[in-house]
Amino acid sequence: MIELRNDALVFSFPEVHPDAVLRVEFQRTLRIPSDGRTYPLPPGRGPFPLRHVDDFAERVPAGWLRHGGVMLPMYQAEALWISFRSPTGYPFAVKVAAGKIDAVTGKEWSEGLSQRPQNYLVHPGQPWLDGYVVEAGKIRQFVAMPLGAGYSAEEQLTGKGEFGGLQLQVFPLRRELYRPLPPPPAPDMMYAAAATARPPAAARAAPDMALGMGGSMQQEVYRDRRSPEDWDTAHTSRCFVHLANSMVWRQITGQDPPTVPPTAREYTAAGLPWFDYYAHDQEALAGSDALKGLKTIAELAKEKGHPALPENEPVDPTNLVKLHAKVAPGQVREGVF
Amino acid sequence: MNELGDYLRGRRLARYETDPAYSVNRVAGRVGVTPSYLSQVERGLTRSPPSEETLVALADDLGVDRDLVLALAGKIASDLRQTITRRPTLFAELLRELRDAPDHAVLRLVREVRDGDW
Repeated sequence: MIELRNDALVFSFPEVHPDAVLRVEFQRTLRIPSDGRTYPLPPGRGPFPLRHVDDFAERVPAGWLRHGGVMLPMYQAEALWISFRSPTGYPFAVKVAAGKIDAVTGKEWSEGLSQRPQNYLVHPGQPWLDGYVVEAGKIRQFVAMPLGAGYSAEEQLTGKGEFGGLQLQVFPLRRELYRPLPPPPAPDMMYAAAATARPPAAARAAPDMALGMGGSMQQEVYRDRRSPEDWDTAHTSRCFVHLANSMVWRQITGQDPPTVPPTAREYTAAGLPWFDYYAHDQEALAGSDALKGLKTIAELAKEKGHPALPENEPVDPTNLVKLHAKVAPGQVREGVF
Repeated sequence: MNELGDYLRGRRLARYETDPAYSVNRVAGRVGVTPSYLSQVERGLTRSPPSEETLVALADDLGVDRDLVLALAGKIASDLRQTITRRPTLFAELLRELRDAPDHAVLRLVREVRDGDW
């Protein structure tokens, strides 16, 4: 089952094992420049607020009620990353899609797990996902644009802007294979409140947002060393996460959306940390050629003659913090601004 | 029957044993009422219970549960009142149904995120 607790999706499988609990958060972050360079990991700026779509049934599109699930607010050109945390270290296979395009393989959404190509990530081991996996060790940051404007991976690959949002499906390890261990040092997503409020980029008042391809970032998605049969496919939960344009979040919920995170330039100029994550004993997946072939939001904006992405100047992260797998807990991916 | 007054007086005196700041005079001063009014509340001599604001201030000053103090005064917090009046039948039924349920059963009452048709 899935519960909403303190702006986190909590997947639990009490029928499989009491330890089988996975906490998923959607972290606000700064958008890295889309300038041909490859950047380290930007910080977490705290979770996006999450709400049940059912609680606002009269004000959300009918399609959202059909999909069920939850919603969160994003400004146009805002970025996010997804954090995973299994408090007991219980292993999970997690499928992530945006607009029902698998973020790891670039293929259209299908139920179930596959290893050729691997269409999921494994946690513990994979503490976060920041974007579409385009090649080994490299992703393209998830950046929100209005659904229907033609920027998302979904629209580029299918020619239709039908779904938008994010989709997650979680599979626990089969109970008989679980060996309780001291919990792994999953970096804790601590954060500080954003101090910089910027007027949001212009957005139409249509609620649906979709994730396009932002700047390039160093991030590996690791190969699963288990066999597909090790995952308990009889017990799985999935959730549709709708991305509501922040400009209409207030109309829908009566609550203010969070302020916009600082720009990459502001953040870097303040000497605040960027991050690198290493897990030396793991093999990175090769990434998806289909995703690699897609155009970035910056390229598409230029083609369409739309205003270029705001605040896209290159930055030079000098304060780089290295996070290692299998070291003492308490590592944080945060930047106090 | 003076449940509210007895409870408040009992809690205040328990604290007063070790801390003189819990005299009638000083508690009344902190929560913004006269000492004679607080004394009347404790002895159940007021015609009507204190306002929600005063009860909440008293509960906070004595370090006790606001909702309990409000309930002893025959009141419920405004946010709970709004919640109930929005769907009175549903919440009244829910509370009656849970009246005798053990704590762990109440805590098991969780809401799941609904999955739909993608």
